[in-house]
Amino acid sequence: MLTSAPPSVNRVSFWRTFWTNAVIAPRTTLGFMRVDFVLGTVFIIPLTQMVFFVFVVQVGGGGASEIAFTALGNAVATVTYSSIFSVCQTTDSEKQQGTMEHLLVTPSNRIALYFGRGLIPILLSLATVTVGIFYAVALFGVHLAPSSLPSLAVSVTLTAFAMVGFGLLLGGVALYLRTSIILGNIFLFIGLLLSGVNFPASQLPPVLQWIGYGFPLTWGLDAVRASVAGDSFATLTVLWGAVAIAAAVSYGLAIGLWKTFEHKALSTGSIARF
Amino acid sequence: MAVEPAHASRSRATQASLRISLLMFMADPQWLIPSMIAPVVFGLVAFELFRGAGPYFLTYAILGAGMMSMWGQTLYGSGWAIGQDREFGTLEPTIQSPSPYVYVVLGRVLWNVVSGLFGGAIVYLVVVVAAGSPPAVPDPVGFVVLFVFVMFTLASVGILFSAAWVYTRYSGFIQNVGEFAFYVGTGCMFPVVLLPFWTNPIALIFPPTWALDALRYLSIPGYVGFGWGFWPDIAGAVGTTLVYILIAGTIFRRVERHVLAKGNLSEF
Repeated sequence: MLTSAPPSVNRVSFWRTFWTNAVIAPRTTLGFMRVDFVLGTVFIIPLTQMVFFVFVVQVGGGGASEIAFTALGNAVATVTYSSIFSVCQTTDSEKQQGTMEHLLVTPSNRIALYFGRGLIPILLSLATVTVGIFYAVALFGVHLAPSSLPSLAVSVTLTAFAMVGFGLLLGGVALYLRTSIILGNIFLFIGLLLSGVNFPASQLPPVLQWIGYGFPLTWGLDAVRASVAGDSFATLTVLWGAVAIAAAVSYGLAIGLWKTFEHKALSTGSIARF
Repeated sequence: MAVEPAHASRSRATQASLRISLLMFMADPQWLIPSMIAPVVFGLVAFELFRGAGPYFLTYAILGAGMMSMWGQTLYGSGWAIGQDREFGTLEPTIQSPSPYVYVVLGRVLWNVVSGLFGGAIVYLVVVVAAGSPPAVPDPVGFVVLFVFVMFTLASVGILFSAAWVYTRYSGFIQNVGEFAFYVGTGCMFPVVLLPFWTNPIALIFPPTWALDALRYLSIPGYVGFGWGFWPDIAGAVGTTLVYILIAGTIFRRVERHVLAKGNLSEF
């Protein structure tokens, strides 16, 4: 006689799947928990990217306020490397190593599986933005009042969650594509142009502004800038709400896409291959 | 049976390698990112940031983004010219073939030169469309000739990288982390003299730093770069490029000897 498994088995399975994907997979099959990758992403890329754009602003005749604007924008924008790339490339790695097909036929809880993979990138994203903001304050004249720190912490945390959600969303699309590297790069570079990283988004034509506000980075950056500027709690709440909505939409769409393409992969037996 | 002369085999190897590189570029469009997508975005960002900063801001933006296109292709494309053989497991068979390996790599680097220049042309078109008018360039012919020369100085860097990166597992790390550092260090978007003085000698190790400075002297009246001016820049670019080629040749010979003696370079 067949009997259903006791509820505790499912709970153990959920957390084990989550833990395996959160901590072990990044160090093994997914391969982004390497010392060089982490040090480069957290400490070197933010600095070199900020230096590059700050000098561009200087050559363009920008003053201290423009430099601070660009430095802070790039400090936050570098979150893309750890959030979008790391997560997006999990799909690529599985496909290239030939493990995706096996993964799709396991009974693992999908939410535990996909969200587990977002844990380390969220921590890396938090570290990247924190170090970036430190550089912005220490080297590029961004003024940060101690009273702004709590709200800044909330903004940075929400942004990290939202960006990893966006990475999961792109990772879902990557299940259908041959590779996600183009997708990830496109959103990395578009963010520099449309999300108000280097100049206010209001300088863009309206259509491009609307597109820009479709990305979590734009809202996250607005929230971080408002926190640093010491804006009112009411203003911050609206922006935090927007970032949270962007995150929820990204995670929801990610789950939807994964389900759709997983179904397609199982029915066609082909798209999970590299 | 007539034996084909050695030079025919070499040129055929280079042609075949060039053709295969083109086909692989078409088949794997991720190379569009460093050579075209990123520079176009950087060009538009620079255009917005430079807007109104003097009559030659457009030249600055186009030169900078075009240079980044070519750097991207060098860093990711040429740097991968040997690494790809290691990953695909074709290093030993290719080196065993009668054609010298350097001619195979030359074909790949030549393709990167072509695609880098193509990327530069696309950057030019996009930024000009955004600006609504072409930049004012005093000597257009000299500009084009020197632009191509800049790409060849980059190719020499690419050949050196491709040879040196056979001996490291960190080439991907250097590519990703060093991308902006190379852009800053060689003055892609702004003169190197703006950087702290201690960085200048490091920047001058790279041939494109000299060549790009010369290109700006030619195309931007009133440009303030290295104090020695245009012709010493050209001499420096030619000299450092030759040194790079010599060093790359030495490393190539070592790679070939290593492969033939030990046969373990494909082991990652």
